[in-house]
Amino acid sequence: MSRFQEQLDRFFYDADEAVGPFLELAPEVDPLQTSAPQETPEDFLAFVLEGETYAVPITHVREILKVPALTEVPRAPLNILGVMNVRGDMLPVYDLKKRLQLVEQVPVVGSAADVPRSARVVLVHDAQGPAGIFVDRIEGVVKLVLSRLEVAPNLGLERNCIAGLGRKGDALFILIDVGLALA
Amino acid sequence: MAPPRALSDFVAEATEILETLGRDVLALDESRTAQREPDPDLLNGIFRAAHSLKGLASMFGLELLSRLAHRVEDVLDALRLGKVGLDDALVDTLIDALDSLNALLAETANETSTPEAATRSEQLAERLRVLGEGAAAPSADVLDQIGLDPSIRAVFTEYEEHRLRENVKKGVRLYKVRAVFSLNDFDQRLGALNATLKPLGEVISTLPSSQPGDETSIAFDLIFGSSTLEPKIVDAIAGAASLESLGKPSPPPSAPSPRVPVDMGTPVPLPLRPLPSAPPIAPRGVIEQSLRSLSQTVRVDISRLDGLMNIVGELLLIRSNLQRLSETTKVPGVTVMPKAWSQELQRESRALERKLDELQQGVLDARMVPLVQVFDKLARLMRRLVRESGKQVDFEVAGGDVELDKLIVEELSDPLMHLLRNALDHGIELPDAREAQGKPRKAKIRLTARAQGNQVVIEVGDDGNGMDEARIRQVAIERGLVTGSQTDEMERRDLLNLVFLPGFSTRTDVSELSGRGVGLDVVKTNLARLSGLIDIDSRRRRGTTFVLTLPLTLAIIRALMVEASGRTYAVPLNSVLEIVSVRSDELQTIERREVIEVREHTLPFIRLSRVFGLPEKPLDRHFVIIVGLAQQRFGLAVDSLLGQHDIVTKPLSARLRHIPGISGATELGDRRAVLVLDVSALMEDVLRPQSAVI
Repeated sequence: MSRFQEQLDRFFYDADEAVGPFLELAPEVDPLQTSAPQETPEDFLAFVLEGETYAVPITHVREILKVPALTEVPRAPLNILGVMNVRGDMLPVYDLKKRLQLVEQVPVVGSAADVPRSARVVLVHDAQGPAGIFVDRIEGVVKLVLSRLEVAPNLGLERNCIAGLGRKGDALFILIDVGLALA
Repeated sequence: MAPPRALSDFVAEATEILETLGRDVLALDESRTAQREPDPDLLNGIFRAAHSLKGLASMFGLELLSRLAHRVEDVLDALRLGKVGLDDALVDTLIDALDSLNALLAETANETSTPEAATRSEQLAERLRVLGEGAAAPSADVLDQIGLDPSIRAVFTEYEEHRLRENVKKGVRLYKVRAVFSLNDFDQRLGALNATLKPLGEVISTLPSSQPGDETSIAFDLIFGSSTLEPKIVDAIAGAASLESLGKPSPPPSAPSPRVPVDMGTPVPLPLRPLPSAPPIAPRGVIEQSLRSLSQTVRVDISRLDGLMNIVGELLLIRSNLQRLSETTKVPGVTVMPKAWSQELQRESRALERKLDELQQGVLDARMVPLVQVFDKLARLMRRLVRESGKQVDFEVAGGDVELDKLIVEELSDPLMHLLRNALDHGIELPDAREAQGKPRKAKIRLTARAQGNQVVIEVGDDGNGMDEARIRQVAIERGLVTGSQTDEMERRDLLNLVFLPGFSTRTDVSELSGRGVGLDVVKTNLARLSGLIDIDSRRRRGTTFVLTLPLTLAIIRALMVEASGRTYAVPLNSVLEIVSVRSDELQTIERREVIEVREHTLPFIRLSRVFGLPEKPLDRHFVIIVGLAQQRFGLAVDSLLGQHDIVTKPLSARLRHIPGISGATELGDRRAVLVLDVSALMEDVLRPQSAVI
């Protein structure tokens, strides 16, 4: 229903009803107050890792790829699954499951044949340049209001790459700080 | 501010000007030390370069740059007008100023600015101003003595007057060369006349003649100073022009000169009146400069060439796919197309291959630049360092015309600078010490380059004290880089190579010259990034030579594709010495490390899969790639060889840059990334004494 709200509003909009100029003239109205509640929700890309739903700001996401052929890099940090060739750029693909302590062992991924059909690589970029993140499944784009995010409770786990928690109805989204997660 | 594109053009242009300036100032200095009079053309060239730099800089609103360039220009102007003499202080200041201009330019390019660079440039500008004012007023003017008509002198520029004066001082004869040319082609013919006269003397000024020809022709008077005998000049100009002697050569200025009778031949109808409508200077301007540029070159941003190179790389991939397709049509039994078609396809595919090779070569050639670009900068730096060091050094440079990929040339300047500083600082002795050893007081430092197949060898050598392996051994042990027992087994060569270990530096006092906390290990790493190798040849009391071997280009290299544990890797062919095949039972061990024997040399046997921590398959036969240089070699064992390919190495993303033994990745026909091995880093890693990898 909310999808049509805006269109309906626009349809019934009457210029004479606009009260903007009057509000400004009204002495009691604090201009800061009127703008504060208007915080627009931000878009996040939600994806699933071992059954939990994680999310990253969509501004960090460049594209979503089917799992390409990966070349493992000997002696690279353990959380690097390998290198993929994206239109001539050689980019690392990271596995976050070990970092988030979801699994004990990093899986060996050689190509799309080794992973479930739903698996994808999310191409993100941060200050250090582009990189891929291996995910089990893409959930979709979710709108979250930044000021309503919770700080993650202390569960005695390493969570220094978790930026916070977002809720939408029953669903829980664990927000990831891309820069820290790939460090 | 100027748009970035224009700014980058400015930076490119200004860099070029500064390079030329640097070279010319050195040439000027050389002619001075050789006690020769500086070539006026050279001086003029330098002056003009400084002038255009100033103009460009002020056009872009770069005030510091333009002010300093202005001062340089002023001093050079005073110099070419003979107002100031060329001395050490002036040359040094000029070179400093060029360095400072370079620094300012670099800041402009990076869109940064530091107060240090600004103050330095201001100080230099001030110093140049003072130097420029040291101009002595010209003494008794010799020009007065030759009785040249004042109206001719009136149209001379200050510079022309100065040249005239110089010629008179030298005591050469002055002539007036009168030439009449048709209006149609006077510019070419005047040029030709100038060219004829040039070897014989100096054309001081070209004036439109006071005796104009008829309506279809134009006459010129060239004031020409020459010590050549008159008949010879007449022969040379052979009818193209007539010659008159302009007075006698003046006696040396000090001699009592009773007003030299000016023999103007027949009373020339001087005074020359400048035509009111056409000032006499104008036509010369037209003649001397055509708007067409003289150079046939185009400046191209290296990133565009990189882009082209990438496309060539992709075309090569398509080519190999095409080749495979055309090969499959040859297989008997497969009848996908008529035989005639298949032959046609193969022929066309071969033609494509040939043209692609040419294209690839063409793009590679376009990336090549002569080493002189970096050698000149180094020569300038060395000149300053030598003066500061108090040592006497003859710096020899050879092979500047050898060409290398632009990227490599750029990356070379730091390592070379470091090696040269090392040679000056640690290598050669003070003059007295040298004399005591029976060596000439003046030491030699050489920087030479030569092409060798598809590699370039650069040598940095000195005739100093050579390296002291006992001292190297002691320091390496002190720093905990090796243990005493390890060094006992080492040969001299291995000991020398210890200087490349990180954390090694023999001098206890860190000097301003080669200190800065950077060691030879950085030189080696930098070279490894360029797929280059470095070797030392050092003899006690005879000197040290560092030998750098570099590939011609990094853009496309030939690589051997190998397989280990089912993974494919690319090994650059320039690091492969040979390939042998050994049976497992031929392997021996020394202290439990595997070795093989290749023609009576025992080499470490390194299994690539083991180094990389990959699962190993038991094999009864290994392919061993012998890699390395000189005595430092090892055998890299792989499971199988997959043939050679031309590959374009792409850097790994910054996140993976510091993984030892891998220099980048490339793609093959199936688009999968294939890692390219950095053999020298692998060797380093594996053969390091305390390494526990194996």
